[in-house]
This record gives sequence, structure tokens and C-alpha cells, in this order.
Amino acid sequence: MSVAGWLADRVGWKGIEASLAAHRASRRGFMFHVGGITLFLLVVQVVSGILLAIYYRPDADHAHASVERIVGEIPYGNLVRGVHVWAADLFVVSLLIHLFTVVVRRSFRAPHELTWVSGIALLLVGLGQAFTGAVLPWSEKAYTDARVGSEFARYVPLVGDWLHRFMRGGEDVDSETLAHAFGFHVAVLPAAMTLLLGTHLFLVSRRPVTPLPQAATAPTIPLYPDFLVRLGVALTGTMVLILSLAIFWERPVGPSADPRTPPSGGLPPWYLLPAHAILRAAPKELLGIDGPTFLFGAACVFGLILLALPFIDRRGSRLTVWLAWIALLALILLSFRALP
Amino acid sequence: MSSNEDRKEVPRRDFLNVAVGGSAAALAVAGGYPIVRYLEPPPGRAAGAVRVGKVESFPVGTVHTVMVGERPVLVVRTADEIRAFSALCTHLQCVVAYSPESKQIECPCHGGVYSLDGRNVAGPPPRPLQELAVTIDEDFVLVSSAG
Repeated sequence: MSVAGWLADRVGWKGIEASLAAHRASRRGFMFHVGGITLFLLVVQVVSGILLAIYYRPDADHAHASVERIVGEIPYGNLVRGVHVWAADLFVVSLLIHLFTVVVRRSFRAPHELTWVSGIALLLVGLGQAFTGAVLPWSEKAYTDARVGSEFARYVPLVGDWLHRFMRGGEDVDSETLAHAFGFHVAVLPAAMTLLLGTHLFLVSRRPVTPLPQAATAPTIPLYPDFLVRLGVALTGTMVLILSLAIFWERPVGPSADPRTPPSGGLPPWYLLPAHAILRAAPKELLGIDGPTFLFGAACVFGLILLALPFIDRRGSRLTVWLAWIALLALILLSFRALP
Repeated sequence: MSSNEDRKEVPRRDFLNVAVGGSAAALAVAGGYPIVRYLEPPPGRAAGAVRVGKVESFPVGTVHTVMVGERPVLVVRTADEIRAFSALCTHLQCVVAYSPESKQIECPCHGGVYSLDGRNVAGPPPRPLQELAVTIDEDFVLVSSAG
């Protein structure tokens, strides 16, 4: 018996193969691979993040210098950081595409309510990872992101003040904020994400994707090897994209944080551009409530509606699909509006 | 009819379910509460009044940014007085700065503008800059962190 045959025998590969082949997946569409790509991007971030953590120093006096050292002195450090930063950006893109696809395909309908809720929770944890990760280089931009991002939290109804202090690790943005962000970025949020992801994948496996009415008769293919081989091609393409971006599109660390210096007018991360455009244009008061309080209250109501979507729109109406398209268009237009 | 016959029997499985579920919930609360309290940062210590420099280091007609504890502060010197304002925009806490061109205090993040007496005069800031108490002690300027 060959080594491969022996190994296959010991892990019971034939049974696994038969079980995978018995599952059917949709034959058509790249969109069915977005969930898998999102998971892959998470794995890339974990691996590159572990490598970065070896040289990174999470205190305000050394953090920026340690990131500059990774980029400037450590062999392939620039590539590892580039892969981490780009994979993080693409992860958010992929999460949003996945979310949008689920809404447009009305895949949130029963019996997928819990899958949807766990997905929205994953999106929130993903955004938490993006925020805490942006703080870690302790550059001028990171300092501003920490200040503005934690100030956002103050406007969350009921728990705002608590959340604000919690995100800062105290009253102000200082070394404690950085230590807090590091702890959450490398331990707390990844643990939460692992738990939620496990739940999400378990629910997906228990309740296969709801087909569209017109797709009920669409041809399907075995999950293994057909679907997984196609997914493998998509993942290889994703990795080539990440490496290309990391090599050819450098993401500078920027100057070190100085609390006395105002930010140089740079923009927030791309996924906050719509919020940036609204915050710039919003008046001081709306309906007798101060501007930021009104806007964040509205954002929280929108978040709750999004979370409860499968319970509000049980049948997956066309109105929801139209609203999703309008929301996408509005977000793109607002993003362009935020650009200088 | 005797009282024993009125008594409804609880099946053993239901009792165990309630007992195990209740114990698990009690353990989760007992374990979760200290964790949540641990993660909550303790209240910070106020820095009190901080020496930010000698009076002559703030010439008339200038605005300087200094640190009071961990917080950036604007020290505004006019012909009559020295005043200090938190350098954090009341909109979303970006650090603001004096613009010599416009002779106003500006926030680069969302376009907020303040006059030199801290009033919010343009853009989205909902309130004036927080004013901090200034005292002069033996030719030194002291700025209170508490306002």
C-alpha cells in the first residue's frame, strides 16, 4: 500500500469523498464562491497576522518604529504587511459582496434566519477587526482613526458612553488604547470570529442555500470534486490578486502619531467614505437633535432593521431587492462625494 | 379526592433539563460578570493643573498647541488674557489647529471652524470647544485638565 493509500485508509477518505460527492452545489455563477473566498481571505489574514505579531511591539513608544522595521528591515516584511493589509481590505469587500448577494438572491428567507443573524454578527466583528487593525501602526492616521472611531461609539444609544471608554481603554486615546486594540485584534475578536464562523458554516451545512424560484430546476454539480475544484481556481486567483496588490501598490505606514498635530486632511478607510460624506455635509441640528446624535441614531435603527430583515420580510419581497440596489447606488455616490 | 392525586408529576427528564440548563446559565453569569467588569477600564486619574510653559513663551497674538496629560490643548494669547481650549473638535474629536491664514481654529476632518474664543462658527461641530481654566503661577502658565 502506498503512503497516500495508507493515509486515505486511516482517515477514512472514501467515506468523506462519498459524503462530499453526495452534496450538490449550484453550477452557475462566481457569486456562489464569494463565501469561500471570504473564508480564504480570513485565513490569509491569520497567517500574515501571526508573522507580523512576531516583530510588532504593542506600546505607543515602539509600535510605529516596529512597523517601520518590519517594512524596512525584515526580509519580505513589506510583502507580509502588504498581504495582511490588502487581504483585510478585500475581506471587507468580500463580506459586503456576500451580504449584498444574499439580499438580492433573497437567501435570508426562512429557514435561514439564524444563518443571516450570524452573518451580520460576523460583519460587525469584521469591522471591529478593521478598526483595531487600523490603530496598531500608531501613525498619525491611526491616531485620528482611533479618536474618530471611538467617538462614533459614544453616539450608540444606551451603551454609548460605556462603549466609548471601552474602545479607548480609558478616557482618552493613549497607550492604553493601543494595548486594548492589540488585545482585541489578536485574541478577543479572532476568538469571537472563530465561534461565529463555526456557527455560520454549521448552519449553512445544515440548511443548504435557498434556490430562487426560477433556479429550482437549474442544473447542479457535486460539491466534490466539481464545485471545490472551481473554488480552488477562484482562491488561486484571489491569492494572485493579493500578491500583485501587495507588490505593486504599496501602503505606506505614514508619520508617527503626534497628538498635537492635526491630521493632514486624509480620508478615512474606503468603507467609511459614505459616512465621511454625510458627516461633512450634515447640519448642526436635525429635528432638534444635534447632528451626530441624529445620524448615529438613524444608523443604529438601520442596523437593527438589517439584523431583523428575515423576520421583517419573511417572504423575500422584490421591494427589499430594489432597496438593496438603491442603497448600493447611494453608497457608491456618497463615496465619490467624499473624495476631494 | 386526596391531595396526592392532585399533585402533577414532573418527568425525570424535564427536571434534569431544567436543572442542567439552570446550572449552566448560573455558571455563565458567574463567569461572565467578572470578565465583563475586568474588560471595563477603570476611571482615569485627572492630571490636575499642568505647567505648559512660561508666560513669555506665549507671545501676544499667537496660538500654541500643548499637551495637558494625554490631551492636546490650544493656548490662545490675546492682548488682554491667556485662554486655553481643548484642541479636540466637538464633532468627532479630531485634533483642531489654528490657521494663520483665516485667523480661525479649523478641523481638517469634517470642515468645522471655531473662532479664537472657542465658538463653533461653521461646519458640523455642535458645541464650542471646551474651555479649560488657566492660572498664572510664578510666571508659569498652568492649564487645568478638568475645565
